[in-house]
Amino acid sequence: MAETQSASKSSDPMEAMREMRDAYLGVMSKAMIDAVNTETYAQVTGAMLDGYLTAATPFREGLDKAMLQWLEQMSLPSRQEVVALAERFTNVELRLDDIDAKLDRIVSLVSERRTASKAAPATRPQAAASAVATSRVSRKTATKASAPVARRAKAAKSTSARKPGPRKG
Amino acid sequence: MTQAAVFPETMSEIEEQWRTMSRVLTTKAAIAQTPKELVWALNKARLYRYIPVVPLEKRHAIPLLLVFALMNRPSILDLRRGHSFVEFMVSQGYDVYLLDWGVPGLEDAHLKMDDYILDYLPRAIRKVKLLSGAQEFSLLGWCIGAILTTAYAALRPDDGLRNLMLLTAPLDFSDPSKLTFARWTDEKYFDVERVLAVFGNMPGEMIDYGAKALRPIENYVVNYLKLWDNLDNPSVVESWHAMNTWVTDNIPMAGGAFRQLIVDLYRNNLLMKGEWIVRGERVDLKRLRASLLTVIAQGDHITPPCQSEAIISRIGSTDTDVHRVPGGHIGIMAGSAAHKQTWPYIDEWLGARSR
Repeated sequence: MAETQSASKSSDPMEAMREMRDAYLGVMSKAMIDAVNTETYAQVTGAMLDGYLTAATPFREGLDKAMLQWLEQMSLPSRQEVVALAERFTNVELRLDDIDAKLDRIVSLVSERRTASKAAPATRPQAAASAVATSRVSRKTATKASAPVARRAKAAKSTSARKPGPRKG
Repeated sequence: MTQAAVFPETMSEIEEQWRTMSRVLTTKAAIAQTPKELVWALNKARLYRYIPVVPLEKRHAIPLLLVFALMNRPSILDLRRGHSFVEFMVSQGYDVYLLDWGVPGLEDAHLKMDDYILDYLPRAIRKVKLLSGAQEFSLLGWCIGAILTTAYAALRPDDGLRNLMLLTAPLDFSDPSKLTFARWTDEKYFDVERVLAVFGNMPGEMIDYGAKALRPIENYVVNYLKLWDNLDNPSVVESWHAMNTWVTDNIPMAGGAFRQLIVDLYRNNLLMKGEWIVRGERVDLKRLRASLLTVIAQGDHITPPCQSEAIISRIGSTDTDVHRVPGGHIGIMAGSAAHKQTWPYIDEWLGARSR
């Protein structure tokens, strides 16, 4: 089987061509890698990039100016205005993420308090004392922005606690 | 068989091959197919959580966050079904998250590595901790992602980072003679300010050209001949198609971050010198205390091994490991041998430290 394969391989003229091609490309590859690793290559590509930037800059500036005038005439926002708006959106997103983090912290503290009070009903005075201490710490660490949210959460909790439970019968 | 019968058969084979060639060159393969959900977003960044396939009681306790480079899509980590690092890690019981930096627009031209390290990364990590319920986590940074995760690990050592894995990490720029990029971006030849003044961000096409020009014959000739030679082999064709889809999906790099990469790192090697200042804080590698695995690609021409070796002696961690893999910058994680040489090693190393 192997003999048949090698026989058909050796009789395939394309295989010999492929081997020659690969050998040639191997040599070319090494030569090119050496070429791109030289100072001359860095210098030439640097000069080409410089040339492109020099040629493109006045064209781009002219195009930007013309586009700005046209957008003004059409009462449309310029690119700079859209960019400024996008930056403001990102800032809003950052603030929202901060608020999200603070809310998560509040929820986690509330659930910790609940777990603590459920786990130790016999030692309620101690649990209550530690919960008060925790809420003091959280109030100290929370910023002004999160304080109303915490107050609302507390108010909602006390309201729900005051609600009468479902009556049986 | 007569000569007349052979001719049409050959013609139809050639026609079929042309059709295959045209399909893979003009269409996009279905990549990044492992099921995931979006769990957090900020500006262009997105945090995904992969849907677990292992029951909760059999999963590792420590979640894993993957952080890829800024100038390529992270889909290389989840290339195609049956050959995806993400799919492999999910099947091994990890709670896997992926931070996709997204495509920066003109409004993001000012974004620096400082922003990625101290704004985006900690916020994404907070979400990972919240969703996983774990106080500790593991990070895997690849290429520029390794720079960001290393700096984060040194700046915020008390955030709960237990394990840090760096893949082909370009951290040490002390020997420019071994770095072709360093030669090309030398201030004598490359005016980074002028480029950014014109483009805002570093265009993806220029980054792509830079990466391909390091091995011009391989990337511009041999790559296509490999496809041509294997047009009758569906498995090679599909693999080539998936890789080509990823390679041709170029994205720009935020101007501020690119400037830092060239000036602070390539030209001045500030990270290794211990002089890199990120938003007013010095990145002191001695403060990095997490367990560290660095995976080095022995045939890497983008990040030569010498760039990833020195980190081990500079950090404060006592649990360190270096894994050398034959292959290139991308091949070690997405090549045909990755599932034998790289992924099992990472799984074994991380599994022992994720309990």
